[in-house]
Amino acid sequence: MKFKKYFVEGIPRRKFLEASLKGGIALAATPSLMMQLLSCKGVEKGSAKIAVDPQVLDRVIQKALEKGGEFADVYLENRISREILMEESKFKSAVFGISQGAGVRVISGDKTGFAYTDDITEEKMMRAAEIASFVAKNGQSVGPVKVKKGSRESYVTVKLPLGAVADEKRIDVMKRANQAALDYDSRIQMASISYYDEVRGRTVANSEGLLLSDELPLLFFIVQTLGVGNNTRHMGRERLSRHSGFEMFDEVIPEEVARTCARESIVMLEAKDAPAGIMDVVMQNGWGGVLVHEAVGHPLEGDVIARQTGVFTGKLGKKVASDVFTMVDDGTLPNFRGTTNFDDEGTQMKRNVLIQDGVLVKYMTDVLSAKQLKMERTGNGRRESFRYIPIPRMTNTFIEKGKDKPEDILASTKSGLFVQSLSGGSVNPVTGMFNFTCREAYLIEDGKKTLPVKGATLIGSCLDVISNIDAVGDDLDFGPGICGKGQAAEVAAGQPTVRIRGINVGGSRARR
Amino acid sequence: MDYKGLAEQLVNKCVKKGADLAEVYIESGRNLSIEVRNGEIETVQESATHGVGFRVFVQGRMAFSSCNDFTENALNNAIESAIRFAVNTTPDENNVLPDDKGLTQVEGLYDPQISQIPMEKKIELAKKVEKLAMKDPRITKSSGASYSEGEGEVFIANSNGLLKSSKESGCGFGVSVVAEKDDQKSTGGESCSRRFYADLKPPEEIADKAARDAYEMLDPRMIKTQKAAVIFDPDVARSVLGGILAAVNGERVLQGASFLRDKMDQKIASELVTIIDDATRPKGMRSRPFDGEGVPTQRRVIVDKGVLKGFMYNTIVAKRAGVKSTGNASRGGFTSIPGIGAHGFYMEAGQSSPQDIISATKVGLLLKGITGYGINPVNGNFSGGASGFWIENGKIAFPVKGLTVAGNAFEMFNGIDMVGNDLDLNRSFTAPTFRIKLLQIGGE
Repeated sequence: MKFKKYFVEGIPRRKFLEASLKGGIALAATPSLMMQLLSCKGVEKGSAKIAVDPQVLDRVIQKALEKGGEFADVYLENRISREILMEESKFKSAVFGISQGAGVRVISGDKTGFAYTDDITEEKMMRAAEIASFVAKNGQSVGPVKVKKGSRESYVTVKLPLGAVADEKRIDVMKRANQAALDYDSRIQMASISYYDEVRGRTVANSEGLLLSDELPLLFFIVQTLGVGNNTRHMGRERLSRHSGFEMFDEVIPEEVARTCARESIVMLEAKDAPAGIMDVVMQNGWGGVLVHEAVGHPLEGDVIARQTGVFTGKLGKKVASDVFTMVDDGTLPNFRGTTNFDDEGTQMKRNVLIQDGVLVKYMTDVLSAKQLKMERTGNGRRESFRYIPIPRMTNTFIEKGKDKPEDILASTKSGLFVQSLSGGSVNPVTGMFNFTCREAYLIEDGKKTLPVKGATLIGSCLDVISNIDAVGDDLDFGPGICGKGQAAEVAAGQPTVRIRGINVGGSRARR
Repeated sequence: MDYKGLAEQLVNKCVKKGADLAEVYIESGRNLSIEVRNGEIETVQESATHGVGFRVFVQGRMAFSSCNDFTENALNNAIESAIRFAVNTTPDENNVLPDDKGLTQVEGLYDPQISQIPMEKKIELAKKVEKLAMKDPRITKSSGASYSEGEGEVFIANSNGLLKSSKESGCGFGVSVVAEKDDQKSTGGESCSRRFYADLKPPEEIADKAARDAYEMLDPRMIKTQKAAVIFDPDVARSVLGGILAAVNGERVLQGASFLRDKMDQKIASELVTIIDDATRPKGMRSRPFDGEGVPTQRRVIVDKGVLKGFMYNTIVAKRAGVKSTGNASRGGFTSIPGIGAHGFYMEAGQSSPQDIISATKVGLLLKGITGYGINPVNGNFSGGASGFWIENGKIAFPVKGLTVAGNAFEMFNGIDMVGNDLDLNRSFTAPTFRIKLLQIGGE
C-alpha cells in the first residue's frame, strides 16, 4: 500500500476519491464494490428512521463479544438520496438512491474486527457479529451493558424537510443558477449545475449500553462554469452545502452561487504565468481553511498519534505554532456541513480547541484512539457509511479569528501571492509535507492585489507553515468540502484572512 | 441467487411500469481486508454485498435509481422512483442504450484459488512484508502493512436484448514505513496487486522498494529556482497520463472543456509518445470483456507517435458526436450512471534504459514523487509539488524535497526527448521512465 494521502477537495462531478498521483491505494480489485464511495444514498418519502428492536441489538452485541473483546458496536443506516445534473442548459440525469445496512465492530486490545450486511435482519447481523469477533479470539473479555435509548442535543434544525420538497423546487433552483451564470458574461460558454440531497437515518448501539437514533439531512449544490477567452479557458467552481432543510436556498440564493462561480471563470481568463519559488502568501478568508485542515488537522487525528507516526506525536502541551495561531474543530456549529448531532459512534459533538495561542492542547479522537491514548472522546469518530469502520475525522475545522484587519494584512505585504481560493490539497500526515492547488490567485505588488495568475501549487511542511503565520484577520469565514481518508466525509474548513511568510509556490516562470 | 435471470426479469418489469428503454446493472461480490502493524493484526474486515441500478428512459428522458435491498417491494419502489424521477430531465434523441451482443475474449480475470487460501496465510503475508521492510536499521517505524482481496460479478441486461455477465477477482498487499534521522522523517510505501494470488510479487521485492523509497530521501537539499530537464519515474506517470485521459473524454471535448478538443489527427506530443488504452490484456487489472453498459471493449491507440488518434466515448456521448461507442463507459458501481473512463491506459516503452536517461542528463531532476492535480484538462496548465533526486553530470547527486514543477501540457508532451524501456504493464496508468528536456522547477 502506498502511503495514504489525505485530501480535501470540492467535488469532481462523478468521482470523489481519486487515487493519489503516485499510483494510489488501488489494492485489490472488484473496482466498484471495493470503491463504494459516496455512493450509497438514502430516504424517499421523508423518513429515514430505522425501526429495530433494542433486544435484537443486545443479542448482536452479545454475539460480537462472545469470543472476547472489550467493546462492540452496531451501526444501522438508511439513506435516501437524489442527485440531479444540469449541463449545457439540459437536465441530463436524475439519480435516486436507496441504501441500507448495518455494520458490526469489535475492539479487542488494539485489534478491530468489522463486517457489514446489506440486510438489517437479526440473522444477517448475527452473522456479521460472528465474523467481526474473529479478532477477539483469546482477547480480554468485558461483558456488554444492555442498551438503553438515549438522546443528544441537536445542532441540525430543519424548516423545510427534504422529503417533503417537490422535485419542481429542486429543478427551479438549478434553472435559476444556470440562467444567472449564463447571464453573467457572454464568455461563459457552459454551466454545470449539480444538485444533491440526502436524508441519512442512523442508529448507533454499543456494549456500553448506548442507543441513539437520528436523521440527518444534507444538501450539496455545486455550480461550475466554463469561461472561454481568446487564448485560454477556465472552469470555475462554487459550492454550497449544509446539513439543513431546503430553506438553505432562501438564505443563500442560487443566483449568488452562480455569479460567484462565473466571476472566477472570467477573471481567470486573464491569468498570467505564476512565479516560481519561495514567497509570502496572503490567503483570503473562507475555504482557504482547507490548508490548516490538511496541513495541521490530519496530523492531529488520534490514529496517527496512537501509531506514534504523526508529526505531532509527543508534542502535546508544547509550542508548535506562532502566538497568533489558534485552531479549532467544532462539530456543533448550527447546520454546518461538518456538523452532526453526535458522531457515528454516538459521542457528543464538541467544540475542540486543538491549538491555543500556538500551544498544542488536544488531539481529535474516536473510541479506539481515545482508548489507546487514554484521552477523552472528542466526537470525531466518523464513517462514510455502514460499509466502513469509524476513524478519527475532522468536522468543521478553522483558524480562530484574530485582531488584524484584512486590508492591513494585504497592505503590509510588499510582494508575494494573494490566494483568493484553493481547489484543495493533500498532506502526508507523517512528515507533515502538504500541497495545495490555487483556484484563484493574484500577484501582490507593493501591498496591492494586481494580476491574476494561473493555478499554482503551494507546498511546504506543516510545522513551518504554522510557525510562519504572522497575521490573522478578524473576518472568519467557511467553505464546504469533501475530505478523503480512505473514505469520504463531509467537512467544512474556515479561516480569517491570514499571511504566511515564505511558502514555495509552483509557478511556471522565474520571478522577476 | 440467479442474478442473470433476475436482471432480465427486472428489465421487463421496468418496461411494464412505463419505461420505453431500460437497463439493469447488478453487482455482487465479497471482499476481505487485513491490516497489520508491528507484527499484530490491527483490523480485519470481511463482507459480502450486492446491489442493483436501474437506468430508465421515458420519452427520451433519462433517470436512474439504485438499491441494495432485493426484496420485491424494494425493487418495485426503486423502479417506480426512477420512472417518476424521469419527468424532471430533458428529452434527448441521443439517449439510447447499446445493442451490441458481442463479447471481447479476455483471459485470466478470475482466480478461483483466492478464496481457498486460508486467512492465516494472508495474515502471514502482510506480517512478513512488514517485517522485511523494517529490516534496514534506517527504518524506524511501520505505518502498517495490508492484504486485501475481492471478487465480484457484474450482470448487465437491457431492453435491446443485451444480457452479459463477467466475473473477476483481485488481490494485493503492501507496506508503508518511516525512516527517521534526527528530526527528519521520510516515508516510503509499495504495493502489488494482481488478478491471481500466485502472481503476486515476492514480499522481499515490495519490502525493499518501500524501505528504499523512505531512507533514500533522508538528508534532502534545496536547489535554486531554475529551468532544467525533468525525468519522470514510472511512480509519477499518472501525473501526466491523467491529464491526457481527462482531455480525451468525448463529453468534455463536446463541451469545449478539453485542451485537446480541436487537436484530432494533429501532433500534440513528440514522436516518441504512443499512448494505448487496452482492455484486452490477459490478467490485466483493468481488463474486462465489456464496458459499464455492456459494449465490447477493445485495445485502442489514443496517441500514435505524437499524433492524437482517439477520443473516448460511451453510447450516449458517441451518438451525440456521430460516432460509435469506443467501449469506454465507466461505472462507479451499481449506484451511478455510466460516465466515460479508461481501461489499461499506458505509454508505450521506448529504447533507452533508465540508466541511459540519467547518464544523458547533465543537470536535472529525477522526479520520484509528485503531489497536486496534475494537468488541468480544461486548459492544460500543470503545477505540482515535487521530490526526487538531483542529477549532476549524468549521476544522481543528492535527494531533493519541497520543490515544485510547472508547465503547460503541450510544452511538456512535445518536450519528451527520451523514453525508457522499463514499462511495467502490471501497474495501472503506467509509463516507462521518460524525460522532458526543460521544465520550470521552483526552489529557493
